Amino acid sequence: MSAALEVSDLRLAIGGVNVVDGIAFSVAPGEVMALVGESGCGKSLTAQALLRLLPRQVRQTGGRILLEGEDITALAERRLRQIRGRRISMIFQEPQAALDPLSPVGAQVREASGLASAAAREAVRRMLAEVGIADPDRRIDQYPFELSGGMCQRVMIASALISRPAVLVADEPTTALDVTIQAQILDLLRRLAAERGTAIVLITHDMGVVADIAERVAVMYAGRIAEIGPTAAVFSRPRHPYTALLLAAIPRLADEPKSRLAVIEGSVPQPSEYGAGCRFVGRCPFADARCNAEPPPLLETDEGHFSACWHTERLA
Amino acid sequence: MNPVLAVDGLVVHFPARHGPPVRAVDGVTFTVAERETLGLVGESGCGKTTVSNAIVGLVQPTGGEVRVAGMPVRGADRRTLREIRAKAQIVFQDPATSLNPRMTIGAAIGEPLLVRGLARGRELRERVAALLTEVGLRPEHASRYPHQFSGGQRQRIVIARALALRPALLLCVEPVSALDVSVRAQILNLFVELQQSHAMACLFVSHDLAVVRHVCDRVAVMYLGHLIELAPRDALYTTPRHPYTRALLAAVPEPDPALQRAKPRVPLQGEIPSPAAPPQGCVFHTRCPMAIAHCREEVPAWRHLGETIVACHRAEETPAP
Ligand SMILES: Nc1ncnc2c1ncn2[C@@H]1O[C@H](COP(=O)(O)OP(=O)(O)O)[C@@H](O)[C@H]1O
Ligand SMILES: Nc1ncnc2c1ncn2[C@@H]1O[C@H](COP(=O)(O)OP(=O)(O)O)[C@@H](O)[C@H]1O
Ligand code: SF4
Ligand code: SF4
Ligand SMILES: [Mg+2]
Ligand SMILES: [Mg+2]
Repeated sequence: MSAALEVSDLRLAIGGVNVVDGIAFSVAPGEVMALVGESGCGKSLTAQALLRLLPRQVRQTGGRILLEGEDITALAERRLRQIRGRRISMIFQEPQAALDPLSPVGAQVREASGLASAAAREAVRRMLAEVGIADPDRRIDQYPFELSGGMCQRVMIASALISRPAVLVADEPTTALDVTIQAQILDLLRRLAAERGTAIVLITHDMGVVADIAERVAVMYAGRIAEIGPTAAVFSRPRHPYTALLLAAIPRLADEPKSRLAVIEGSVPQPSEYGAGCRFVGRCPFADARCNAEPPPLLETDEGHFSACWHTERLA
Repeated sequence: MNPVLAVDGLVVHFPARHGPPVRAVDGVTFTVAERETLGLVGESGCGKTTVSNAIVGLVQPTGGEVRVAGMPVRGADRRTLREIRAKAQIVFQDPATSLNPRMTIGAAIGEPLLVRGLARGRELRERVAALLTEVGLRPEHASRYPHQFSGGQRQRIVIARALALRPALLLCVEPVSALDVSVRAQILNLFVELQQSHAMACLFVSHDLAVVRHVCDRVAVMYLGHLIELAPRDALYTTPRHPYTRALLAAVPEPDPALQRAKPRVPLQGEIPSPAAPPQGCVFHTRCPMAIAHCREEVPAWRHLGETIVACHRAEETPAP
C-alpha cells in the first residue's frame, strides 16, 4: 500500500547544527504513528517541516517529504497554501491560542472547509457533531473563550479534518488537557483515523499516550530517531538503550511503591553539545570509543523494527 | 499525637467581578501525620493549589481552619506566620521561577539559615555543602548561578533550600511536572530517599496518579473544590470507592500497550462544571455514570468504608475491578 506520508533523510539546521538530523518514517492511510521524545529533541520542528512552516532561523539542509507520493519539499508558497489544511493539517498543544479569539468557532471551521456559505453551515454542524461536540447548533456561534480547553481541541480537530486531508499532524494535542479529557480526545483521534482513513502523526512526550493510540512509534533523541517499530515490539523488547532506560524510568500503577526507578544519568544535551558520534553517548551505560566517534546507522533488528545503536546485542 | 498538618473544613471563595464567587475550595478536611506523605490529586481547577496556598497563609480562608504543627494559620501574628513558614516549606513546579537568577545557589540555599540567624560564616558554608551533597549535587556547585544548571538540577537546588530549616512539613506542588521523564525519575528517587532520611511530613500535590502512587502513603482526591475520597494508597488504587476516582484511574494511560488496550474504556462524559455555579447535591452528578435522582438532591455525607473515607451515596456498590 502506498504511504500517505513518506519522510526521508530530513535534516533541519539552526546555526551550523543539524537539530533534526536525517530522520525518516512513513505513515499509511488510517494509521496512527507516534513521534515520542523528551523536550528539545526536534519533534515540533519536524512537524513544522511537514507543513513547510519552519521558523526563519531554521533551514532544511536535506531530505524529502512525499505527501501521497508528491514531493512537497520544493513547492512554491502559493502551491503550499493549497495543500495546507486541504491535504495535510496540523493541531497543537494550546488550542485556545491557535483559534482566533474574535471569530465564532463555526466560522473558523467553515473557513478551513473552503465551502461556500449555503452548504457550509450544515457541513460545519455535521463536522462539529462528528468530533463529539454536544449541541453543535448552539456551539457553532460561540467564541473560543466560551469553550473549555477540551472543546477547543475538538474545534481544532474539526477545522483540521473538514477538508478530508490525507495527513493530520498532531503536536502534543493532549498535553495541556486533564487525563479524563485526554482519554476522550485520544478516543476521538483513533476513531477518526479508522473511519476517515486519515494518517495521523502524533507527537508526544508521554509513553502512556503512545501505548494507548499508536500502531507504530519512532523514539527520538537529540534530533535523531533512536528506534522505530511496531508499538507492541518497541515496548516489550526495546532495541535501543535510551528506549529501554526511558521505559524503566516511568513509575507505573503496577510497580512496587517507593522502589528505586531506573535513571538515565545527566540530562538531555543542548544542540551545541552534540558530538560526532551517537548523541546518547554521554548518558549511555554501554558507550565506548566507537560510539563517541561514529554515529550508529538505523538498522533493522526484527521485522519492521529498527534501532540506531552499535551495541543493540547488549540489550536483553 | 498531634498531626503536623490539620486542615479542617477549609473553605476558600474568591469574589468575582460579576456573578457569584468562585468556590475554589468548599469544605476540605484532612490531616498529615509525622513521617507521612499525603498525596492530593485531582484535575486542574479542582482546588489543589488553593489548598496549598491556604496552608502557608498565601490566601485567606473564607471558613474553616488550618493548623501547622498545632499553630493556627488564620489570625497568626507576623512572628507566628514566620514560624509557620519555617516549619512548612514549599517546593513548586517550576524551579526556574523559584530561584533568583542573580544569586549563587549557595547563597540561595543558605539564605533561610542566615536570615534567621541560625548559621553564618564557616558553619553556614558547611551546612550548605551538606545540603548540596544530600540532594545529589557537589559542594563546589555553591558558587554557581541557577542558569548554569539543568531543570532537574535546579529542582534539586530548590529542594535543598526547602530542607535547610529542617521543616516539619514539606509542601510539594507538582514538583516533577515540568521535568522530562528521564530526569523525573532522578528527582523521585531523591524524594523517596529524603522521606526516609528526614522523616518529615509531606503534602504532595500532583495531577499524576502514577507518580502519587509511587511516593505517597495516603491519597486524597479532590473534585470541584470538594474532597471526594481519602484512603491509604493501596486501598485507593486497588478498590477505589468513588466513581470519580475510578474514572480518573481508568483514564491514566499505562505505558504498556497490552495492558492499556485491554482496559475497559469508560471515558467520563462532559466537562467539569464551573466552580462559580457548582451542581446541587453531589457535585459530581453531572458526569457520574452511577448518578440517581437522590444524587441531584442531597450532598453525600462522609462515610467510612473499611480504611476509606468517601463521599458518595453509592460507594459500597463498587463494581468488580
Ligand atoms: N524558532 C527556533 N529558533 C531557534 N531554535 C529553535 C527554534 N525552535 C526550536 N529550536 C531548537 O531546536 C531544537 C528542537 O526543538 P523542538 O523541535 O521544538 O523540540 P521538541 O518539540 O521535541 O521539544 C531545540 O534545541 C530547540 O531549542
Ligand atoms: N486568585 C483567584 N481568583 C479567582 N479565582 C481563582 C483564584 N485562584 C484560583 N481560582 C479558581 O479557583 C479554582 C481552583 O483553582 P486551583 O486551586 O488553582 O486549582 P488546581 O491547583 O487544582 O488546578 C479554579 O476554578 C480557579 O480558576
Ligand atoms: S551507539 Fe553506543 S552510546 Fe549510542 S546508544 Fe548504542 S551503545 Fe549507547
Ligand atoms: S453520590 Fe451519586 S452522583 Fe455522586 S458520585 Fe456517588 S453515585 Fe455519583
Ligand atoms: Mg514541541
Ligand atoms: Mg494548580
